[in-house]
Amino acid sequence: MSANIYIVDDDESVCRALKTLLMTYDFEVKTFNSAQGFFDNVAHDAPGCLLLDIHMPGTDGWEVQRKILASGSTRPVIFISAEKKDNASVRALQVGAVGFLQKPVNGQTLVDMINGASKN
Amino acid sequence: MKKKIIAVTPKKMKKPLLKKISRINLEGQIRLLTRDLNVIKRQLKRGVSREKLSKEKFRGEVTQGVNREKLGADREKQGADRERLGADREKQGANREKLGAGRERLAEEQFRLQTDEIELKDGQLREGADREKLAEEQIHIRTKAMEATFDGIFIIDALKPDFPIIYANPSFYHLTGFTKNEVIGKNYFLLYGVVDNLHALEEIKQALLQGRSFQGELLNSKKNGEKFWSLLRITLVRDKNGTVTHYVGNKTDTTLMKQRNLEIEEQREELLHVTRVGKLAEFVSSLAHEISQPLTAILSYAQAAQRMLKDREPQLQEVLQYIINDDQRAAEVIRRLRYLLKKSKPTFELLDINTLIKDTITLMMPHITAKNKVIKFESGSNLPSIQGDRIQLQQVLLNLISNSLEAMESSNDSRELVISTCLKDAGTIMVKVKDSGCGIPEENKLKLFGHFFTSKPDGLGMGLSISRSIVEAHGGRLEAENNPDRGATFYFTVPVYMKKGQ
Repeated sequence: MSANIYIVDDDESVCRALKTLLMTYDFEVKTFNSAQGFFDNVAHDAPGCLLLDIHMPGTDGWEVQRKILASGSTRPVIFISAEKKDNASVRALQVGAVGFLQKPVNGQTLVDMINGASKN
Repeated sequence: MKKKIIAVTPKKMKKPLLKKISRINLEGQIRLLTRDLNVIKRQLKRGVSREKLSKEKFRGEVTQGVNREKLGADREKQGADRERLGADREKQGANREKLGAGRERLAEEQFRLQTDEIELKDGQLREGADREKLAEEQIHIRTKAMEATFDGIFIIDALKPDFPIIYANPSFYHLTGFTKNEVIGKNYFLLYGVVDNLHALEEIKQALLQGRSFQGELLNSKKNGEKFWSLLRITLVRDKNGTVTHYVGNKTDTTLMKQRNLEIEEQREELLHVTRVGKLAEFVSSLAHEISQPLTAILSYAQAAQRMLKDREPQLQEVLQYIINDDQRAAEVIRRLRYLLKKSKPTFELLDINTLIKDTITLMMPHITAKNKVIKFESGSNLPSIQGDRIQLQQVLLNLISNSLEAMESSNDSRELVISTCLKDAGTIMVKVKDSGCGIPEENKLKLFGHFFTSKPDGLGMGLSISRSIVEAHGGRLEAENNPDRGATFYFTVPVYMKKGQ
C-alpha cells in the first residue's frame, strides 16, 4: 500500500503540480489550500507525511507545526518555501520537522526526503 | 552848514559850538537810550523770546533813526535857539550833575542788561552744546554698530552719475578681501565685474533704476578669486523730496549656511538612497516569492511528465529537460537577487581590514583557481581598526572580486588580480581591487553604479549599486577607474575607528 502525502500550500497550481509529480512516485496525495482545510479533513493520528508551505495568509507554516505538535501527533513535516529567510532550514529542524526545501523543489530531492522521513 | 561855520570863525566858534552840539547829542542819546532801556526792560519782564527782542530792538532802532532825523531838524531849530541856550547855560551846568548821575544809572542798567543777555546766550550755548554732544554720541554709537556688525555694509552715492561707494564697513573689506582704497569711489558693479552674476547684476540695476530695493543671493568672488555666496540687500535712502540720494547695501556671507544645507541635502539623498534600496529589497522579495510559485509548479509538472514518459519519447524528454534547466536558471537568478538584497540590519564591530580580505580571498579561492586566475594581496602594514559589518563588507569584496574575474574571463593572458590596502590619510583606509581585464567602456562609466545596470548577459545590475550603498553606509566611497595600461581598479574607503571624544 502506498504512503500518504498531504500538501498544504495557498497556491493551487503548486499543490496540483506537486501532487502530479508525487503521484508518479506512487504516493497517495491530498492537497489543501489552507491550514484550516487540512485540520478539518485529516485526523491528527491519520498516517502520512505533510509538505507544508511557510508563507500563507492566515495560519502560517510555523503555526501549523505548533498545532500539530500540540495535538500530540508525530506526523513528519517537510517545510517548503520560496524564501530561505530567518534561518528557515535550522528553524525547521528546531521545531521538530524533517527538513526544509526551497522552491522550486527538485522532485528527486523531495522524494528522498519523504522516504527518509517515513523510514524513521 | 558845518563847512560854513568852520570857514567864518574856525577857532572862535568851534569850541562852544561843539560843546553845545555834544551836549544836545548827549541829551538826545540819553533820551533815546532811556527809551530803549525801558523797551528792553519791559520785554525782559515779559520774558519775550530773543528773536522777538531783537525784532523790538530793530523796531527801536527804526524809531531811533526817525528820532535822529527829528534830531537833525531840531538842530536847525537849536541853531536859532542858540541865544536862549546860552542864557540857560547855568541852569544846564546844574543839570549836568544830574546827567552824570543819570549816565551812571544808565551804564548800570546797560551792564545789568548785558549780563542778562550774556547769561541768556550762555544758557543757549550750553543747551546747544548738550544737544550737539548727544547727537555726537548717537552718531558715534551708530558708527560703532555699523563697524561691529558681521554683515558687510556699503553706501553708494546715488546722486553721482557713476554711483561710487562712499562708505564700507570693516566687515565688507573682510568679506570681499578688497582694501579701502580699492573700494571707496568705485562703482559696486565694476568692483564685482560681470562674470559671476551677469543676470543678478542686471536685476539689481533694474531694481535700482526703478527705485525698488533689491534682495538676492549671489555667488561673488573675493579679491583673491575665492568664491563665496552672499545674500545682498540694497535699500534706498531718500531725502525730504523723495529723491534717492543713497543706496545702502547689506552683504551677508551665506557660504557656510549654503554648505550646511548642501551637506544636509546630501545626507538626505544618502538616506533616501538607502531607503530606496530597502524598498527595492522589499519589492524584489515579494516579486521573487510570486515568481517562485509558478516556477515550482513548472518544475514539478515537467519532472512529473518526464517520469510519466519514462523511457518513451526521447525527443519530448529532451524538451522537458530544457524546461527544467531554464526553470532552475530562473530560480537561481532569483536566489542571487535575494542574496544581494538580503535585508539584515548591519551589525557594526571592530574589524581588521586585512583579516577580512584574507578571509574573503579564502572563500573565493576555489572559484579563482577554477577560472585559472591568480590573486595577489598586498596588505598595508600597521593599519588601524575599522568599524563595520563583516558580512556586508565581505559582500562588497565578493562582488568586486567576481566582477574582476568576469572582466578577465575572455582573455587568457590577463590573469592577475591584485587587492591592496593602505592608509589614505590618518582617518581613512583605502582598499583597491585591480584587475587586468577589459576595463570599463567610456559610455558605461556614469551608469556603472546605477540600479539594474549590467554589461553581463545574465547580470542583474544590482551588485555595484548595492556595494556602493554598503560602503556609503559605512561612511566611505566606492569608485572605479581604468588603469593606465589595462583593466580597471575599483577602490573604496572606510573611516578608521575613532574612540569617542577623539
